[in-house]
Amino acid sequence: MAEKLIGKDITPPDLVAKVTGRAKYAEDFRADGMLFAKLLSSPMPHARVRRIDASAALSMPGVVDILTADDLPEVDAPGERALTNEPLYEGEPILAVAAVDETTAADAIERINVDFEQLPFVLDPLESLRPGGPNARTEGNVYHISQDLREFRTLKWTAADLTEAGEDRLPMGEPQVEWAVGDTEAGFAEADLILDETIVHQSLTHHPMEPRSSMAYWQNGKLFLHTSTQSTAQTRVAVARALDLELDDVVLIGEYCGGGFGSKVRGSPIMHVPALLSRKTGRPVMMRITLYEENSLGRARPGFQARARMGWRSDGRVTAIDLYVVQDNGPYDRRSDFTTAGNVASLSYQPLSMRFRGVSVFTNTPPRSAQRAPGGAQIVGMLEPIMDKAARELGVDRVAMRRINAPDNNGWVGANQGNLTSAYVREALDKGVETFGWEVKKQLSGQREGTKVTGVGVALSPYVGGSIGFDGLLVIRPDGRLHVHQGTGNLGTHSFADTARVAAEILGMPWDRVVVVWGDTSKHLAWSSVQAGSQTIHAHTRANHAAGMDAKRKLQEIAARDLGGSPGDYETDNGRVFRRSNPSQGMSFARAARRAIQLGGKYSGQELPSDIHDVTVRSAQALAGQGLMGVAKDNYGREGGTWSFVVGFALVELDVETGQVDLKEYTAVADCGTVIHPRGLAAQLHGGGVQGFGIARSQKWVFDPQWGIPFAKRFYTARPPGILDVPLEMHWGAVEIPDPQTPVGAKGIGEPPVGAGSAAIASAIADALGGQYLCRTPLTNDMILAALEGREQPYRPLEIHS
Amino acid sequence: MALIRDMIPAFELFQPTSVEDATSLMERYGEDGWVLAGGLDSFDWFKDRIKRPRAVIDLGNVAELRGVRSTEDGLEIGAMTTLTEVASHGEITRSYGILAQAAAKVATPQIRNQATLGGNVAQDTRCWYYRSGWPCYRAGGNICYADAPTAMNREHCIFGADRCVAVNPSDTAPALTALDAKMVVRNSGGERVVDAEDFFIGPGIDITRMTIMEPGDLLTSIRIPTTWAGARFYFEKVEDRKSWDFALVSVASAMTVNNGRIEQVRVVVNGVAPYPMRLDNVEAQVRGRPLDDETATQAGETAIRGAKALRHNDYKLPLMRNLVRRSLRGEQA
Amino acid sequence: MEFFRRATNPWGQDVLVGIAWDLMWAAVIVGVLFVVAHAIYVWRLAPKEEPGADLAAEPGTNVPEQVVRHTLSSRLFHWLMTAAMFALLITAFFPVIGIRFPWVTIHWIAGIGLVLTIVYHVVRATLWQDFWSMWIDRKEIQEGTADVKRFLGRSTVPQRKAGKYPLDHKLFHHVIAAVSIAAIATGLLMMFRVDTPFWVRNPYVLSDGLWGVVYVLHGLSGVALITMITAHIYFAIRPEKLWITRSMINGWIGRKEYLAHHDPQRWVVAPNAPQTLAGAGSSTSPSQSAQQDKQPVG
Repeated sequence: MAEKLIGKDITPPDLVAKVTGRAKYAEDFRADGMLFAKLLSSPMPHARVRRIDASAALSMPGVVDILTADDLPEVDAPGERALTNEPLYEGEPILAVAAVDETTAADAIERINVDFEQLPFVLDPLESLRPGGPNARTEGNVYHISQDLREFRTLKWTAADLTEAGEDRLPMGEPQVEWAVGDTEAGFAEADLILDETIVHQSLTHHPMEPRSSMAYWQNGKLFLHTSTQSTAQTRVAVARALDLELDDVVLIGEYCGGGFGSKVRGSPIMHVPALLSRKTGRPVMMRITLYEENSLGRARPGFQARARMGWRSDGRVTAIDLYVVQDNGPYDRRSDFTTAGNVASLSYQPLSMRFRGVSVFTNTPPRSAQRAPGGAQIVGMLEPIMDKAARELGVDRVAMRRINAPDNNGWVGANQGNLTSAYVREALDKGVETFGWEVKKQLSGQREGTKVTGVGVALSPYVGGSIGFDGLLVIRPDGRLHVHQGTGNLGTHSFADTARVAAEILGMPWDRVVVVWGDTSKHLAWSSVQAGSQTIHAHTRANHAAGMDAKRKLQEIAARDLGGSPGDYETDNGRVFRRSNPSQGMSFARAARRAIQLGGKYSGQELPSDIHDVTVRSAQALAGQGLMGVAKDNYGREGGTWSFVVGFALVELDVETGQVDLKEYTAVADCGTVIHPRGLAAQLHGGGVQGFGIARSQKWVFDPQWGIPFAKRFYTARPPGILDVPLEMHWGAVEIPDPQTPVGAKGIGEPPVGAGSAAIASAIADALGGQYLCRTPLTNDMILAALEGREQPYRPLEIHS
Repeated sequence: MALIRDMIPAFELFQPTSVEDATSLMERYGEDGWVLAGGLDSFDWFKDRIKRPRAVIDLGNVAELRGVRSTEDGLEIGAMTTLTEVASHGEITRSYGILAQAAAKVATPQIRNQATLGGNVAQDTRCWYYRSGWPCYRAGGNICYADAPTAMNREHCIFGADRCVAVNPSDTAPALTALDAKMVVRNSGGERVVDAEDFFIGPGIDITRMTIMEPGDLLTSIRIPTTWAGARFYFEKVEDRKSWDFALVSVASAMTVNNGRIEQVRVVVNGVAPYPMRLDNVEAQVRGRPLDDETATQAGETAIRGAKALRHNDYKLPLMRNLVRRSLRGEQA
Repeated sequence: MEFFRRATNPWGQDVLVGIAWDLMWAAVIVGVLFVVAHAIYVWRLAPKEEPGADLAAEPGTNVPEQVVRHTLSSRLFHWLMTAAMFALLITAFFPVIGIRFPWVTIHWIAGIGLVLTIVYHVVRATLWQDFWSMWIDRKEIQEGTADVKRFLGRSTVPQRKAGKYPLDHKLFHHVIAAVSIAAIATGLLMMFRVDTPFWVRNPYVLSDGLWGVVYVLHGLSGVALITMITAHIYFAIRPEKLWITRSMINGWIGRKEYLAHHDPQRWVVAPNAPQTLAGAGSSTSPSQSAQQDKQPVG
């Protein structure tokens, strides 16, 4: 019997290359005659390009050409192009110069004169919502999306809205989105405790280690693009669409990705620049994005200014939530973080009634994109400490408070009260209580030793855990190896390899004979989910399950055809298909693969299922005849949404004289169904947690309001957490109850660890402060010290980018 | 001229092997020359194309600038000695602990392996307005962007502002000042020795420099007198993260205690002024007083007398007060 | 030579920051050249001045031995202003030439001092003194032209003696007053850039561009003052002018100087009221000939 693969640690196939430095990332590639491109960016937060004078630059030796927005295909507003003539944020690329080397290209940029007309700008959504406030875009300050209409609008609140709220509470004028479940008035009437809090969550840059560099060249009309992307198959489609190319004319290579966190889901617009410059110059073009540029044109998480009115029964049950979220949308496409936030809030607390309202306002700040648990991490970090505050006031244990409100398999989410495939939150809480030692640790809450006070926190963080309907594609070659063609990317989570194990396990294929094919579309990959939104584990355990089952059936059929009996008499294991009743009667996969080639038809991919995606069809056609092909679409179906949950527990020591916070211990427990790869799961739970620590404690944007220019553009100024900010004591666990609506039982787990980390620390800090929640991320030393000393807080409650 | 960052422009590189060669190169290039020690400050400037020297004089090969030597009256630390070496050097950790502690708190291990003591004390301020290449006073302009009504000045000064409100970012500077270190500065005209306390200057004296060093001056070594060897030391740095961050406020103190009374004492705070700030008033107040919480508490209050907060840095007052208090409370760091 | 300092503002726009410090040296050089040229000219080339008119022939018998030229308060004003001006120039320019010290506070306080002295002067001149005594009329301009011609040896028309203040003094006063007012006006605007007990500094009350103009005007007036004050001091210490300088110290000129340099018709020293230093300040004459107590600024 081949070893069981699911639930075991493996060394993923990309690991040795990564740790030895042999892995080639986008910027490591070279091609004959390659040029280097550099970007000229807008110095203003909002401007219009009147005139570009590049003559001096173009006359420099070594400078080959420039690319401006005029060379780019049009994009429908509010979409974004790689280059623009109307920059909407400081640092937005205006043009690119291609030269023989980077120094020359950079020198050339300095010799270009761009005449900018400065336009009004706005950094704070509330400023834009004020009567007469500036709009970030000339077309309006919000983008309306409904079933039949999409348009720019100018939304201004009334002076009465603003006066009513006062300066330090979020005004709640006309929203863009509104829904309600149940009767909130009745809910509040029923409540024994009502809290009304105004909370701010900062916008955050993604800070992947690898900037979004790319290199492109063309051969015979075909684009070869080396880029840094989270997803492979879907990025290729996106490039073809954006540049108006046939899909077959795009080869996308991105085997390694130094992190994306949602900022490189399908690559990003800037990768079009080397592609088009290469077409224009007829030479390969490399564009290395610097970390400085990454902070502008890389993506960011939208910040929220929110107001939550919540009601509780004396036992801790949430009776009503009235949530209003103002989202800092950045300048381009409307982000859905704020609406997701409403869903997550409803899911976490299963309130007896809820109203959600929200508005997403354009600002002249860097473009937003999904960032690990988009919307979820924000709202969890914002609301969980309020739950703690209520628990303290009601005298309810904080874990019990979560337990009484937590969803189970009958839980609901959002305006439509959608179903869940599974939810084992109470089990996760139980496991967390045990692993962390909650009952003992909570006794330490508020204890002071010297200048240090202990605080403990707990947080519940849900997030969407998977999509469905993608394809699996694999080939058993005549050499007896199984090639699993993964179209998902290699973001760094190892799920591209982990999900291949499902097919191997179904087939009984020893792992050392499995070749995971990934990261290069010339290698004929399956149509796959984006590697984002915790989709891969769910979508591709399913897709590879389907493909594995397809291959297994074909093996059985071939065996039955050659060895007699019916396919059902045969089993597969250890690289062989054999008769159950007589395991010595059978054939190796290698032989079966040769037979499949002889037989042709569906066995070797000459005939394909009709429901698979066009991308898979092309890949399968290219691979046809190379062996026994397993190819299938995930048709398993499901009812309801797939959600995963992480419960985080934190213990901090807070120095009352300096405001310094030491995170001493952190435990995260996941409800993510079947565990596919324990070490990979641990990395997600802890890594996401660390990202959450940064959100809660140190990481932020800072803009000068006068000039609209950001400062935190370096790692040392943006302050993502360092290794010393990570506690020595980190534990993890998983409920390990399979999700009943997916064949392997696994749910995605990339997203929810972030909110758990961020909220658990925020809660622990509030606990150490005797229940004082400062309603803001990050909770920096200055704020904590001001609270301890009873001094005025350094920031106004609604102030952002500070 | 369009701006571009993160790309070092070309310069002429010199790698002298002696101090004489270095100073003569410095003299030759004057304002167009740039002395490169560990490069942690320099390359930031070069990368952003804000400082654009014609010639860079890399001191990496000047052997005489490296290492720690015992002298008759203390230690002499070459300016190019790495912070890792300073942090782990036997005699420094034994007798001048605050210097080792301060050096160990700088940034990260990788940076400390590369960064030098001389570079750490001579580094430029980290005011992000200035570092962004904005034409502020310090950059030769006529404005301080960090002290405007809407400015982001959480990290800026509460003492010693003079048009500019930047702070000195060095971790080792307050420790050296507390130890009464002597800075040995050489130029083509000869050598002079300056007290650490006088080495660092505020914008009132020269708004474009953080130290007395003018073009052509080279910090060759730092001498630590035995005055404070084995004294009671305290060093603490409060920062936003636990690594790779500059101090919000740091304190370094040295004192001798006899019969429970403070005899001699030096207290220096950084992160609150454009220079490491020696607290003469605190020292005078606590000298001869019992080493106890009351003395420390009063010292803390005295320390922040006259401080003036900007829009976002009021927290530096209680932080400085508490750190000074802590440094005198009689706890060993 | 650079005339202006320019900078790129945070939005990448080219803005004026101030004058180039080369202009300071230019002002020094112009001042020194003027002094040298004038000294050489007077020494070697200028037609020799006729000695003062015959004393005996003048109806100056009732002129007192000491004729008050500057009252105590006038002198006080002059020297306070001198102190402020020197404080301003030293604090402005010494740091530029490498003599470094914290100058800003001294500079703005001295500036406020200058403003106060000038306000005092203007109020006094307007309300208590003969404002018009510093007025330049057409006749004086004609005489001035003649003086220049004679100085250059182009005319032999004898110089007509001045009233209390000769034309060149008046001109100097007005030019330096204008320059000082420019410096003060721009300097007062620049007070928005320092914290005072009355307001918090705010560099954004004017746009970059306007600030550039303010700084340039301030700088230009500053360096102009270098040249003018150089010339002023030079004249103050010239041997033939020392009698005037002395009067700025002790307040009076001798009867001899009075009769030699002034036209008693134009500057009537009241014959029946022998002047004392103490009383002089409050005595004003109604006629234009009774000009008192005005002296060139500087």
